[in-house]
Amino acid sequence: MNLKDLLSPFYVWQRAFEKPYTSMRPIEERPGSPSYRGFHINVADTCVGCGCCHTICQNDAIDMVPVEKYSGNKGDSGLRPRFDYGRCCWCALCVDMCTAGSLRLSNEYIWTSREPADFMFVAGVEEKHWQDNELGYRREKSYHLYPPRRIEMEMLSPDESIEGFDEVVKGYDVEQAKKEADRCIECGMCVATCPAHMDVPDYIKSIRDGDYDEGLRLMYRTNPFPATCGRICTRRCESVCPVGLQGDSIAIRWLKRHIVDQVDAKDYARILNDNIEENGKQVAVIGAGPGGLSAAYYLRKKGYEVSVYEAQDKAGGMLRYGVPGYRLPDSGLDKDINYIVSLGVEIRNNTRIGTDISFESLLNDYDAVFLSTGLSVPSSMRINGEDHPRVLSGLQVLADAASGRDPGIGNKVAVIGGGNVAMDASRVSRRLGADVTILYRRRISDMPADIEEIHEAQEEACTIVTQAIPVEIMDAPDEKQVIIKWGEAEMVQDPKGGRPRPVLQEDRMHEDTYDCIISAIGQGSNLDYLSKEVQEQLAIEWGRFTPGEYQHTSLEKVFVGGDVANRTADAISAIEDGHHAARGIDRFLRPEMYTELDQEIS
Amino acid sequence: MNTIDEILDYAIDQEQQAADFYTSLAGRAEKAGMKEVLLEFAEEEKRHKERLLAVKTGEHELTPEQEVLDLKISDYLVEVDESDDISYQDALIIAMKRERAAYELYSDMAEKVPESQLKEVLAGLAKEEAKHKLFFESEYDDRVLVDN
Repeated sequence: MNLKDLLSPFYVWQRAFEKPYTSMRPIEERPGSPSYRGFHINVADTCVGCGCCHTICQNDAIDMVPVEKYSGNKGDSGLRPRFDYGRCCWCALCVDMCTAGSLRLSNEYIWTSREPADFMFVAGVEEKHWQDNELGYRREKSYHLYPPRRIEMEMLSPDESIEGFDEVVKGYDVEQAKKEADRCIECGMCVATCPAHMDVPDYIKSIRDGDYDEGLRLMYRTNPFPATCGRICTRRCESVCPVGLQGDSIAIRWLKRHIVDQVDAKDYARILNDNIEENGKQVAVIGAGPGGLSAAYYLRKKGYEVSVYEAQDKAGGMLRYGVPGYRLPDSGLDKDINYIVSLGVEIRNNTRIGTDISFESLLNDYDAVFLSTGLSVPSSMRINGEDHPRVLSGLQVLADAASGRDPGIGNKVAVIGGGNVAMDASRVSRRLGADVTILYRRRISDMPADIEEIHEAQEEACTIVTQAIPVEIMDAPDEKQVIIKWGEAEMVQDPKGGRPRPVLQEDRMHEDTYDCIISAIGQGSNLDYLSKEVQEQLAIEWGRFTPGEYQHTSLEKVFVGGDVANRTADAISAIEDGHHAARGIDRFLRPEMYTELDQEIS
Repeated sequence: MNTIDEILDYAIDQEQQAADFYTSLAGRAEKAGMKEVLLEFAEEEKRHKERLLAVKTGEHELTPEQEVLDLKISDYLVEVDESDDISYQDALIIAMKRERAAYELYSDMAEKVPESQLKEVLAGLAKEEAKHKLFFESEYDDRVLVDN
């Protein structure tokens, strides 16, 4: 070895100080073509976290991660997509599928980092310089991977409809239902939103599969009133369905009804196969509305002997006496109730607690009592002249119509209110041949009634006068008539940020004459069947019970639910209250059935 | 009542009387939950009283120039018989009408006295009562006029 060989390693070091022959960025950066499919953009405030991008991604490059900012918002899962650029192939299926239209691709394609983990990012949440990139790939507005419009429901025309009390909605046939079911993307946002957490995607799948037995079984797991809810549910599920963001939401209510329509009542027992093992305990239920009968159904399934006490001559509560037949025919309601009764639930009609039987005797005779007595007392307007004989209550008009009695409304009526009772009373009045004017103190957009009901009332030629505040009822020259004095209102912003409030304009008053005034401004509870001592032991606020866990009250044996114990006052919430109370009553009466672990999980 | 202190003492006494009135109604309440509601009203009146005490000591200023929304809900409702077993709706009507009466009293007095600091105080008290009326009328709007 000569001296040069010995020194050569040291010569190499001098290269360290020379200009390198390679470079970090070997090519000059060029912008992507205008429609290049580059890095993802997500408008995170528009995204609802439905997870369709995650489901459709063929490379498993998208997972949904919680983002605190969006947690707890209505119709938002609180999740946002995180992209893994170790897997993504930029096919843009996620963009094509995005229900909210919030996902798109920028034309940015250069991203260097020494950290592999950097290439997983939550688009629209983690700051990236391409978030506001105007170029790249967008889905054409007219292009959808699923049909954006729902299959139209065949209905009676408004003219046919007001001829009588026939059901307005005709229901889907099998082919229509399958087409509608095909639009469901199975995201499950509906399940989270439904008060009863019905397994909507799976029962819709049963329609696609043609397996109606399975559909019925799935529905009865959480709701023993599918024929009813398939017609009159307030369908919060549909209000959050992400398919509705860029089209029509899935017709979940009509699909539910379709399953029930396809199954004959005589097959229920075979399909649902509710084998009951008696457990020897007895529960009394007060009120045979959806809350009471839901509790009765789930308690009976657990082996309880259940007696339901009902003041009216038929079971169903407001579903029978407050919802007109053109929306919910007795045949639909009875299909639900008859199955519950077939399991051995005893309903004692025409039995009023507090009058025919004391509440205390129920407490003595039964192992537990469930109260679900609803809101049966119409609120009064408290204006001068309200006790005029030509002022009727909306609830009474509906009850009369449901029982085949003539409510005696005359030919020209004014209905006061903007809730479902007001809309139903108006539409019933149209069917009884009257011209109807609805007076409502706020705007149509403020009406608590179902928007479909409002539209149908308008289609049936009910005139809605908004921002109209009744101030006095007066005698008319003809004693069969009545005069209502009302004033126009201006909507004013609430200084504390609440909903806009109507303010009477005293210089714009009107007086109109009608054959009757139907007051439908709300309902309250009647708790007179409970003694003062019992009432004092139950937590009651503004006429409603405020139950604790599992609908339990501070009275050991007493559970409560339905409209009289919640603020939503709809059938599906009452049904869930009843189901939840049944779980609570079972835990209370048979604690040995539940391990500590169970109790922790629940 | 000619001095500012006298009129403030009167107003403070009125708030205390209102608190006592609701406490006494609560003692007679039959319906479930009414006792709590009426005691809450009594607490609200005590808060009004505290505010006026703070005005008297100079810790809080009245705002006679402030515009207060008048929903005019109570103006057209019939009087409630306080000796009956009252409901939630009754309780709110009683409260709204009491606040309205107080508002009108101070407004009338303010109109009748000549321009002075006293007039300012009376107008300020009227605005305070208008705010109390708005509070109860908003409650009525939210809790009773739900479907209306």
